[in-house]
Amino acid sequence: MATQSAEDGSAGTIQLLRQNIPPRYYVGFVAFLVLAALPLGLSTVKILTMTAALYFAMFVVSWDFVSGYTGQVSFGHTLFFGVGGYTAALLNLEFGLSPVLTVIAGVLLTTVAGLMVGFPALRLHGHYLALITLLPPLVLIRFFSLYRSTFGGETGLPNPDNLIEVQGDFAATALVNYYLGLVVFAAIFLIAFVITRSDHGITYTAIQENEDAVSSVGINPAKFKLFAFVMSAALAGFAGAMFVHTPIGSASPSQLLELTVMIEILIAAILGGVGTISGAAVGAVFIYLARDYIRGIDTVVPILDMPVTRMDTFLFYVLMLGMLFFLPGGLLPKLTVFGRKIHARVTGGSPKAVTDGGYQQPAFVRQIEAYRTRILEALAALLRRDSK
Amino acid sequence: MMSHTSTMAVMDAESSDGSQRNQPLLDVQNLTKKFGGLVAVNDLSFQVDEGEILGFIGPNGAGKSTTFNCLTGKHKPTEGTVTFRGEEVTSKPPHEMVNKGMARTFQHFAPLYDRSVLENVALAYTSGKVFSWSGLFSLSTITGTTYDAAAEICARVGLQDDLHRMPGELPHAGLIRLELGRALATDPKLMLVDEVFAGLASGEVEEISNLLLELHAEGMTLIVIDHNMSGLFELIDRAIVINFGEMIAKGTPEEIKNDPEVQKAYLGGEEL
Repeated sequence: MATQSAEDGSAGTIQLLRQNIPPRYYVGFVAFLVLAALPLGLSTVKILTMTAALYFAMFVVSWDFVSGYTGQVSFGHTLFFGVGGYTAALLNLEFGLSPVLTVIAGVLLTTVAGLMVGFPALRLHGHYLALITLLPPLVLIRFFSLYRSTFGGETGLPNPDNLIEVQGDFAATALVNYYLGLVVFAAIFLIAFVITRSDHGITYTAIQENEDAVSSVGINPAKFKLFAFVMSAALAGFAGAMFVHTPIGSASPSQLLELTVMIEILIAAILGGVGTISGAAVGAVFIYLARDYIRGIDTVVPILDMPVTRMDTFLFYVLMLGMLFFLPGGLLPKLTVFGRKIHARVTGGSPKAVTDGGYQQPAFVRQIEAYRTRILEALAALLRRDSK
Repeated sequence: MMSHTSTMAVMDAESSDGSQRNQPLLDVQNLTKKFGGLVAVNDLSFQVDEGEILGFIGPNGAGKSTTFNCLTGKHKPTEGTVTFRGEEVTSKPPHEMVNKGMARTFQHFAPLYDRSVLENVALAYTSGKVFSWSGLFSLSTITGTTYDAAAEICARVGLQDDLHRMPGELPHAGLIRLELGRALATDPKLMLVDEVFAGLASGEVEEISNLLLELHAEGMTLIVIDHNMSGLFELIDRAIVINFGEMIAKGTPEEIKNDPEVQKAYLGGEEL
């Protein structure tokens, strides 16, 4: 293979790329193992928190799938969590349907909702699209408070049955539901990850760059945009419906529908890295746990003379503002670049530097390499001068 | 209807003078496009035979790009019909026109700035189907072989040394080559080339001209828009000239040059 690439540059490089699974995939696998082992060392309360964090991560992944890739930025993805969650909860509470059936119904109804928003969204861009997507969940909240006896109004519906219940043992129920959440998370993550790494993902990002270019090679952008939107809605609805059947989740505006939920999703996705899926998942877990951590601090803030617990939301938003300011590209893309540098140093440079026609590092990596060389040279010069 | 389809693949430039064919590759009849009260294209009819290079000339704002947009499905014509390869294709959406064999370049370049030159061209090799195993659930179908095909296209338009550059790093002429490359990757029968010579230095005009002539020699049919005639006359077999959305002249470059209407349209403007 190595000798072949000398003559036939690009074909050989592709094989080379294919045989080299990027190290970050292993990191992801280890992270999943850590999530699986986590409950061993956690209290029941913490396990419940982690469960909620996983579902939050599913919401963010579903948002990133459409908005991060096709560039159709949705400000109302909470609609789909809401439709999925409320459908499942109501069918279970009112008609006694088993959670398995209510989840299926929830996914189907969210798919319909996805089509209803996705179709008009095809023709809309920018501010208009933002507003059109922003309003439906707010409409839903108002509607639910008008018909409070059915939908529970601002407080939401009582807890429906758990999908899996260990009779008389809350700790065991929490534990089982954590693993169920982990499996659902893995499923949603893998669906989103694999699709975005296939031709679909290539087409989505091309649509975000330039729709004319996409249709000019014979691909119908509208078809792909609609598919991405509906798929994302279905994933979101699935997560929402499963969530209400856990001990920690319920069909309430504060957990599924409110604007603050949407804002946290946006922050998590942007911090994790938009258009990466993996970044969305990491960002979500990070944000959720950070939020939870801040909420639990009893210390009194010196100058403001107020306990952190009382101003947790304030502090959280200020912290997020700071992070968005200093990490505008997102945490994970930054870590990936950093990781590549480490990897390159450990393995003694990249084997992919081939002459004409062969693979070259992407421009930004080359740029970073150039900076790195320059800094190292400057350092070396300094050291030389010092030693004199 | 499409009896000569099979011969298209093996034809060459010499045998395709068009006279022996009874059916033009592209037949435009009474094309009219109105934007509100503005008539951008008025009752335009013309044919393009297989294997020719047609010049599509007119001053700025004459309606050339609007005509292209109507042919390629970006705009719906107000009136008139477009027949391509014996099939009526009026108002078909852009991606369908491309799949039927009509490719175009954009006057305002439309590269994907987020990926390399090679990956720009390789987009044409993605599956394009929403529901297909390879499109959805396999890792990208852009594999070694299609990358090779894309690299070949890049070499054909003179981008062989820029495969891994980003479009933002390319000079103006490079972006034109990329536009041509992306169009070529769809394996078109007819290429609509929009204002490629604008903003090029004279040496570059010749290079791009030669590139179009090479494509022509390989059997490609071309329609080339330009508002400036001088660069085009070396290249084209035949031209039509439009002004204010209407055809004012057609014929060989010689005939166009001596046409009084054309001289009037360009009087005081640009020289011939």
